[in-house]
Amino acid sequence: MSFPDIPKLRDVFIAQDIMLCFNGLFTATLIDEIGKALRNHMQHHDESPTAITDVFSVYIEMTQNIRHYTVGRGLVDNKAISTIVVSRAEDGRYTVSAGNMVGANDAERLCKRIAELNQMDKAALKAEFKNQLRQPREKLSENNGAGLGLIDMARKAAEPLWVSVQPIDDEYSFFSLRVII
Amino acid sequence: MNDLNIAATSNTPGIKACRATGRVSLSGDSYPENSFEFFQPLIHWLENYLTQEKQPLTMELSLAYLNTSSVRVMMDLLDMLEEAFGKGIDVSLIWFYEAGNERVAELAEEFKEDCTFPYLVTPGPA
Repeated sequence: MSFPDIPKLRDVFIAQDIMLCFNGLFTATLIDEIGKALRNHMQHHDESPTAITDVFSVYIEMTQNIRHYTVGRGLVDNKAISTIVVSRAEDGRYTVSAGNMVGANDAERLCKRIAELNQMDKAALKAEFKNQLRQPREKLSENNGAGLGLIDMARKAAEPLWVSVQPIDDEYSFFSLRVII
Repeated sequence: MNDLNIAATSNTPGIKACRATGRVSLSGDSYPENSFEFFQPLIHWLENYLTQEKQPLTMELSLAYLNTSSVRVMMDLLDMLEEAFGKGIDVSLIWFYEAGNERVAELAEEFKEDCTFPYLVTPGPA
C-alpha cells in the first residue's frame, strides 16, 4: 500500500497555483458543495462578481457535462473517476480543467466540435449559441447535452479551448479539456 | 388553478406564481442537473394561466446565475410569453440583475432581441 506524498503534492499545487481540485466520482451533491466552496473562496479574495460568475459557470458546465455523460454511459469504478482542477493563470486569469473517460468515438467527435468552436469569433459563437438553443430538446440530449455547455465555455474563454485525448484501451480514451477565463 | 410557491434551494430558484395578481417571480440561482424537470410545474402553470385566464401577466426574474439547461428553459418561457402577447394578452417582463455582474444583464439583453413584448432589464432590487 502506498501513501499520499504530501510534500510532493503540495509542491505541485503551489507550482501550478491550484485553488481547488477533486478526483473521484462526481455526484450532484458533490458538484454543488465544491461549487459553493469555489464561490466563497473567490469572494474572500475580492474577485469581481463577473469573474466569479464566469469561473463558476465553466466549472458547473464541465462537471455537469461529465456527470451527465458518465451516468448516461453507465460507467462505473475507474471508468467513472473524473478530475476537476481550478487554478490561477497569468495576468489574473483562471484556468478550469477537467478530465474524464469517454468512448473513443465520442473523443473524436468532441475534438472536432471544439476545433470548430475555436475557429469562431465572439459574434459567431453568439449566433451558434442561439442556434443550438433553438434545437429541439431531443436533439440536445442526443449530443449528451454537451452542445450548449461547450459553446458557453467557448464564449467565456479568453483563449482557444485546449483538449487532449489519451487512449486507454480499444474502447476508451481519457479526455481532458482546459478553459482559460 | 392553484398558486405556486416553491422555496429556493442552493441550486434552484424560488418560484412564486399568483393567479389573482398575474404575478410570477423567480429568484435565486438556477443550475439543477435537470432544469426541464424542475421548471415543469411553472411551465404547466403558465400554459394554464395564459390559455384559460387570458389576464395580464408580469414576470419578474431575479436570477443570479443560470446554467445552460436553465437558459434553455428560460427561452421556452419567453417563447410562451411572446406567443401570448401575439394573441393580445398583456404580458411584461422585468429582469433584475446584480449591479457589477454583467453576465446576467448580457444574457437578459440577448433574449430581449427575440421578444417584442414589454421587457425591462434593470439593476436591483438591492
